[in-house]
Amino acid sequence: MVNLTIDDKQVTAPKTATIYEAAKLNGINIPILCHDSKLKPFGACRMCLVEVEQMKGRQIPACTTPVTEGMIIRTSTPDIVKARKMVLELLLLNHPIDCPVCDKGGDCDLQNLTYEYQVSANRFTDEKFQHEIDYNNPLIERDMNRCVLCGKCARICDEVVSFGALTFIDRGIETKIGCEFEGALNCEFCGSCVSVCPVGSLLARPFKFKARFWALTKQKSVCGYCGTGCNLTLGVQDNKVLTTIYDAEQGFHKGLLCARGRFGYQFINNDKRLTKPMVRKDGALREASWDEALQFVAGRLKGGNVAALSTARLTNEEFVLFKDLMKLAGSASYDHSAGYAHSALTKGLSRSFGVAASTATILDIQKSDLLLVIKTDAYETHPVVGFEINQAVKNKGVKLSILSDKRGKLGKLPGAKTLVHAPGTEIALLNAITKVILDEKLTAGTAASVAGFAELERALSDFTPEAVAGQTGIDAASIVQFARDYASAEKALIIFPTGLAYPGHNADLASAAANLAILTGKLGTEGSGVLCMAEKNNSQGAVDMGFYPANGGKDAGQILEDCASGSVKTLFVAGENPLVSYPDRSKVSAALDKVDCLIVSDLFLSETAAMADVVLPACSFAEKEGTFTSVDRRVQYFKPAIKKVGLSKSDFEIFSVLINLLGGQAPASPAAAFADIAASAPGYAGMSYAKLGEEGAFAPVDVKPALVAPAVVRPTVEQGKLALLVGSVLYHCGTLSQYGEGPMYVCPEGYVEISRADAAAHKVSEGDLLTVTSSTGSTQLKARISPRLPAGVVFAPYHFEAAQVNTIWSGAAVTWVTVGK
Amino acid sequence: MNPITPIINGLKITLSHMFKKPITLQYPDERPKVASRFRGLHALNVSHNKAKCVACYLCPTVCPAKCITVEAAEDANHDKYAAKYEIDMLRCIFCGYCVEACPVDAVRMTTTFELANYRREDFVFGKERLLEKK
Repeated sequence: MVNLTIDDKQVTAPKTATIYEAAKLNGINIPILCHDSKLKPFGACRMCLVEVEQMKGRQIPACTTPVTEGMIIRTSTPDIVKARKMVLELLLLNHPIDCPVCDKGGDCDLQNLTYEYQVSANRFTDEKFQHEIDYNNPLIERDMNRCVLCGKCARICDEVVSFGALTFIDRGIETKIGCEFEGALNCEFCGSCVSVCPVGSLLARPFKFKARFWALTKQKSVCGYCGTGCNLTLGVQDNKVLTTIYDAEQGFHKGLLCARGRFGYQFINNDKRLTKPMVRKDGALREASWDEALQFVAGRLKGGNVAALSTARLTNEEFVLFKDLMKLAGSASYDHSAGYAHSALTKGLSRSFGVAASTATILDIQKSDLLLVIKTDAYETHPVVGFEINQAVKNKGVKLSILSDKRGKLGKLPGAKTLVHAPGTEIALLNAITKVILDEKLTAGTAASVAGFAELERALSDFTPEAVAGQTGIDAASIVQFARDYASAEKALIIFPTGLAYPGHNADLASAAANLAILTGKLGTEGSGVLCMAEKNNSQGAVDMGFYPANGGKDAGQILEDCASGSVKTLFVAGENPLVSYPDRSKVSAALDKVDCLIVSDLFLSETAAMADVVLPACSFAEKEGTFTSVDRRVQYFKPAIKKVGLSKSDFEIFSVLINLLGGQAPASPAAAFADIAASAPGYAGMSYAKLGEEGAFAPVDVKPALVAPAVVRPTVEQGKLALLVGSVLYHCGTLSQYGEGPMYVCPEGYVEISRADAAAHKVSEGDLLTVTSSTGSTQLKARISPRLPAGVVFAPYHFEAAQVNTIWSGAAVTWVTVGK
Repeated sequence: MNPITPIINGLKITLSHMFKKPITLQYPDERPKVASRFRGLHALNVSHNKAKCVACYLCPTVCPAKCITVEAAEDANHDKYAAKYEIDMLRCIFCGYCVEACPVDAVRMTTTFELANYRREDFVFGKERLLEKK
């Protein structure tokens, strides 16, 4: 820490701080246009000029000047005020005064500073810019006439998002922010540039002209899409969520959001929302009263032979109630698709760590020395985690090793090493890496004493790099080097995702990854461990609340089999859309057809809800209170931003009424339910809504490591066919994002991504309609030719109903398909 | 003073009025002359054949009675315009803040004061009713 004087006030600041940061830390405001805490200092706007006594009264930019011991700084002398006024006058020379029509009006840094410094006239004259405004884009409007050239948009796109869509072009007074070759914006549409723009140059088109900033009610919340647990501020007017508002101080991610978080909120007020309960009568779903619908449901639940499937988007409190309801109905068969997707957590990590949770947190990413990323492009599955990885690699020099079946954006980061393996061979590859660590004695001193060490050594005897090389398509030397890199890093963090449609992301993958961490002792310390990133916003909460098969209960796959065989008569589906998201569509369809009574609670009349006997309109996260648990067990409280849409009820209310109708006793409120959770769920002890506050709290993980030999399935290779990978695409998360206008503007339909080599071999051009056929069925998808896929591999996102990808994807580790026009 | 005198004085005044022209306005046969700055019914000013309003939302923001509803939209030229401009005259207190706040001189108050109606909905003046009639 250094001591300095700012405006006659004795303060201290870290040695690495700039004058601007030191002042801010000590509650002294220095005006600035070009600064954001996530970006490197730039010194472009000249608003933050200050005087340093030791520099003979020269005016210097506070944002780029580091503090030194004994500095005496003045931030607002008459000379400084005069200089700042002139800076504003010069900026306003070209900046149009169109505040009444500019959506940034009321939230504009330039407007606020103009008001603060009373710049009501201008001593200079010049012409306003006449740049063409870019309206081409459905999400981001670019009006460079308003630009003050702070460069924040270009810098965040480069430094944080790592896309680099925007840059300074031309020179001198001709300088402007533009895209390559002055073309239209063509990027990921995360909206980070929009969020940091201090003026109205970059605007969110979905919010364009909808309301003024000052008229919005700002409600803090937690994003309802993926499991990263990003914080949101929802902008609400007239009971409608109109936008998401950037708050640079919010959450661990400091206000950063991805495309779906920033632009995918429209599903909340979508016109297609269910507003009244419906009961099937004479073969058709007809509107009914809540009383009628719930009495009917309670009657069916009392009848026995009940099972339940849930989305992982319910709150923790709702999961507890849903579980209680199933117990009252005499059923232990309930799952949040864990049988398909989250066995990596529930089975894999719990047998390796003794706890069904990640041992590391997202905050560890920037504290690590090496990140081992398995089968994911975090930029696609959990984009804000991708930003964290990017910042770790670029700013902190963290090394990045990637094992994946396709290349991704992460692999383009500086120094990233990517091993692209054949689909379905990831566990064999991890085993080979483990074997190298064992053979070369790269293990930690205590590794040999961990339970299962000898068994693992025996089980891996055949997994020499040479033996695995042929199977995985990666040469032995690379495998050995990969193992040495991981083992030699002082701190190393393993990251892998789990999701409903990610084949191969199962218990054995989790154990194979866990073995690496346990053997090398990279566990339980800062910057080390395993981070398993579950797909949905409360997947970890569902696991923590025990909403997965246990004590003889059946998992999602078995439940559907029982429905098909007739042993399950009543199936309660809460928020899930298995007809689209589960593998093997014909099997799911047959099971849902066969079941006597299908009860669905959902926001929309999804494809599954359309088959139901009773449809209960549920609430979105913006209309209820509760807690979500992120992938790193950060428990976060959120409360309603708007009133419930129509007659919809939260799942908490639905389950409460049903529990009471079945003779049970439901907690009086979500707070009471959370008090029960705090008393019973491991790691949640001592938590309450009041204590969680806006920051949330981590549920600690108590690890008891054990080495487990993962089972390896050797996928059969079908010559002449292509391996189909299924998973998430950047703009979407589950099937919910289909109802968000933002994601659908950018990625409106399913497609099949094919390598250049295969496209040439099959004479496929971009946009061709391809018939993709597997052993289970066939569907038609538009072709996208991509350089990131290796030859012999195709990829299709699973989110879209119309694409029906699950007709060709059976859930196997590798699905072999043929493509034809 | 003689107690009769005030009575006589009063009667004089009464008598004098019998010979003066009455000042009572015979409304509705006779129309009042309203001062030009009288704050009556609002009007939306027109420029280039369209309302000058750019839907900046300043008038509903300053309106103390919250009687103005504006909804903005984007026209074919990507310009902002008021797709909806509505004043509920049952709530309006005719303070004129909306006129003062308007940055583009789009709204003014006319001398129209005859606003009586039979139905509540008739007191809600939409954009068409408020547009300056030429």
